[in-house]
Formats: sequence, structure tokens, C-alpha cells
Amino acid sequence: MRFFSSQHEFEYSWDEVTTCNWRKYCPWNDKSTHVIAVDTISRSLDPKTHILRTERLITCKQAAPALMKKFLGSEDVSHVFEVSYVDLRAKKVTMFSQNLTWSNLISVQEKVVYRPSRIIGCTTFEQSAKIIALCGGWQKVKNTIEEYTVERFRQNAVKGREGFERVLAISREAFAEQREQSRRAQSA
Amino acid sequence: MSASLAPECNEVKERYDTCFLKWYSEKYLRGTAMSDECEPLFKEYKACLGKALKERGIDTMLDEARADMKENDVEHMKPS
Repeated sequence: MRFFSSQHEFEYSWDEVTTCNWRKYCPWNDKSTHVIAVDTISRSLDPKTHILRTERLITCKQAAPALMKKFLGSEDVSHVFEVSYVDLRAKKVTMFSQNLTWSNLISVQEKVVYRPSRIIGCTTFEQSAKIIALCGGWQKVKNTIEEYTVERFRQNAVKGREGFERVLAISREAFAEQREQSRRAQSA
Repeated sequence: MSASLAPECNEVKERYDTCFLKWYSEKYLRGTAMSDECEPLFKEYKACLGKALKERGIDTMLDEARADMKENDVEHMKPS
């Protein structure tokens, strides 16, 4: 079993971060190019609590090194299932995800939380993951698979954060431009 | 917006995503959303995607994962 965790402060409001989170993997994110599709599977709004629950399917394409191909096969497309909860009253977004592909060999469970930071106008991002090789056999093989997976997870997390920073920056610019246009249109 | 895993669903997905993002930022976050106004578009997108998921055998994988993650609902759907 391996654990991974990271924390980051985004210098954007919780509203901005949670809005952009829905398009974290849009073309403005030029880092997370391994994410090739994001589909929404289900979405529901609880009328009493105002909690928004969303299920998404994330499709990735990332070639595995030769050593890993021995264990995982040559398939390089994989799927991740994600369930998220937006609690507007608590100002908290919680996202859980789990791998669908190779799930008989390895389990990768991730939890992400977005909350307003103590610094006004900023948002705290907390990420944690648990990686367990499930296949039978030598401990050495399991260790190899876990080491490889946690390292790739770490690399993708860095790319994800950098790519998301870019999405946030471009969105803010686009939004400001839009506001400026409508202001001009009104005063014209 | 991101693409769909099924290229034939891209067009309807794009329309749905745009609708949802507008609803989320302009209504949901302001606490004025009574219902999800993009639901009709979502139904259209879901019909397209559902077929693609079935063809690829992803639907059964999803059912299993959903069952595994069910317990999160208990904690995260309760009023704060």
C-alpha cells in the first residue's frame, strides 16, 4: 500500500475555482494531455440541502513503460470514475475517484477537497490517494506496480495543478473581457 | 470544454456543458437555483453516451464502482 498527499493554495476565490473545476481538462489545460475525455454520467441537485452530486467518467491515454506492460497488458486507454459533492452552504467541494481499468490488479482511490482558504480570496486544495496492488504473487511484483503507480500519480498531480492554474488564469481574463464588452454595450 | 469519449456525442455534450457551466456560476453559486435547468439537454446527452458506454462494456464497470463508493453518499449528502 502506498499513500500520496498534496496541498495547494489557489489565488482565486472558491466560486472561481469550483466553476473552473468543471472544465479543468479543457484545451486551456496544456499540461494534462493524458486526459482525453470527461463525460458526465449523472447529476442531481438535492432540493433541501442544495448539495449538487455529480458522477463523471474520465478517460485517459498514457502509454505504460515496457516493464508495466507485462503486468497491465498493452492497453493504454484507461477510465476513472469520479463522484463529487458540492455543498454550497458549507462552501466545500469533495471529490472521490476510483480507477475502473485494471481494477483487478490495482486500486487507486483519490479524495480531493476544495475549501475557502484562511487567506481571503484564495482556495485550499487538498488531495490524498491510496494505492494498493491487488494481484496475487510476489511481494516484489506488487511493490513494483505500487511504486510505478504512485510515481505516475505524483507526476500527473503536478501537471494537473499547473494545467489548472492556466485554466483559472485564462477564465478570469475571458470573464473580465466579457464584462467589459457588456459594459460597453450598455453605455453605447 | 473537454471532449466525450464517444465522438458522436461531442456536439450535444458541448451544448450541455455550456448550459451547466452558466447555470452553476450564475444560479447555483448565488443560491437561486431551484432545479437543474439543463436537465432536458442532459437527457439528450445521456441517451447518446449510454449507448457508447454499453458498446464499450464500461456500463458494468461503472455499476461496480458506483456500488463500492455508495458509502460516501451517506456522509456527503447530509445537511451541513
